[in-house]
Amino acid sequence: MEEHKEKIFQKYKIKDIVFLAVLSAVMLLTGGVMPLVTSVPLFGIIQLVLALQFSIIPAIGLMKVRKPGALVFIALFSGVVLIFMFVPMFFCLSVCAVLAEVLSILIFRGYRKDIACWFAATVYLPLSLPFLLIYFRIFGFASNGAAVQALTNPVWWVAVLISLAVLALTALGAFIGVKIAKELQKSGVMKK
Amino acid sequence: MTATKSKIYPILAILTALFILAFGLVMAKNIKAFCFIGGVFLLLCAVGCYRACLRVLPVMLIFAAVFGGISYLARRDVAAANAMGVRLLIIGTAMIPGMSVAPVDLTRNLNQMKVPKGITLGMLIALNFAPLLRLETKRVREAMKTRGAGSLLNPKVLYRAFLIPFVTRLVNISDTLALSVETRGFTLEKTETTTYKTPKFKATDAILILCLIAGAVLTVVI
Repeated sequence: MEEHKEKIFQKYKIKDIVFLAVLSAVMLLTGGVMPLVTSVPLFGIIQLVLALQFSIIPAIGLMKVRKPGALVFIALFSGVVLIFMFVPMFFCLSVCAVLAEVLSILIFRGYRKDIACWFAATVYLPLSLPFLLIYFRIFGFASNGAAVQALTNPVWWVAVLISLAVLALTALGAFIGVKIAKELQKSGVMKK
Repeated sequence: MTATKSKIYPILAILTALFILAFGLVMAKNIKAFCFIGGVFLLLCAVGCYRACLRVLPVMLIFAAVFGGISYLARRDVAAANAMGVRLLIIGTAMIPGMSVAPVDLTRNLNQMKVPKGITLGMLIALNFAPLLRLETKRVREAMKTRGAGSLLNPKVLYRAFLIPFVTRLVNISDTLALSVETRGFTLEKTETTTYKTPKFKATDAILILCLIAGAVLTVVI
């Protein structure tokens, strides 16, 4: 049992931290569109514009650093600037990263299988949809922009459609991320 | 040990930004929020962040005017347009304290607070890498042009000619950087380290806190 536990939770090396941080910097750059869409009155618009980049990059990160906590590290590192753009999103993404990691560990017992990396990268961003809805319902910060108002009182069919679109885009993004990582591993550029 | 050159105590800069953002967004629908933003802007100039203020000012004014204008055209509601303008001005103002702090000073500050080294190293890299990544993107695009790869809007071209070379560069950069960090004696273990420069809490930092609180109270009361 102890031996199995050790296999799941491995110690981080400097090269792991550096790689995840560099990927987080890419996420920061691509996430720059977020403040511009917070004013668009559409449920899940933030997740929709971030879906592809916020699934491709974590998938690549998880394929190289197959250790529990990698997704949380990415969320924390990219949150440094995200916190200045849209504060609830930082806390939300950090919690979603933890939830995605827990689900992956429970279902796949870590990131040894490629499908575990794909799964974690796929569910990471869509998890923020119900989380943000609950967050704003509880704290009632409905004055934070039209997008947030639309988030607290969504039209159900729009909410369902956007949620499905976000899930489809993150699934596609995670697939592309896994594909890129596998190709780089095959060519010897990226080592596990 | 010598003091750093940051205008504001690094952790205070983050807390200040969060306070400005939270208070400003809560007050967004109130016309008095404009006074709060103006006051905070002058205060930040006074504590030495005038360069960051001057860099942010034109951008935030243009954004506030454009999005405020769009909001007015869409809803024909002056209050909604004002609120939209305030939100964008608040986001711009909240960025000023963060821009006045060097990422390395923030890292030193977090080290002082005994934050795990892995997290401080990651934050430092994430904050410093944006300009380098822009350069890398430009290089990959130039290589695409040289090869006559075609438009990025074509998914096949985007994948093969942009994403693959870009991620390859990221892997190479991170490998070199990791090696460089390890060569300089950086370790994730709990070892004794020497910090040659430490951020110091100054009188201007205390004045900044007091003035911000006073400004917020006055905005609500008056």
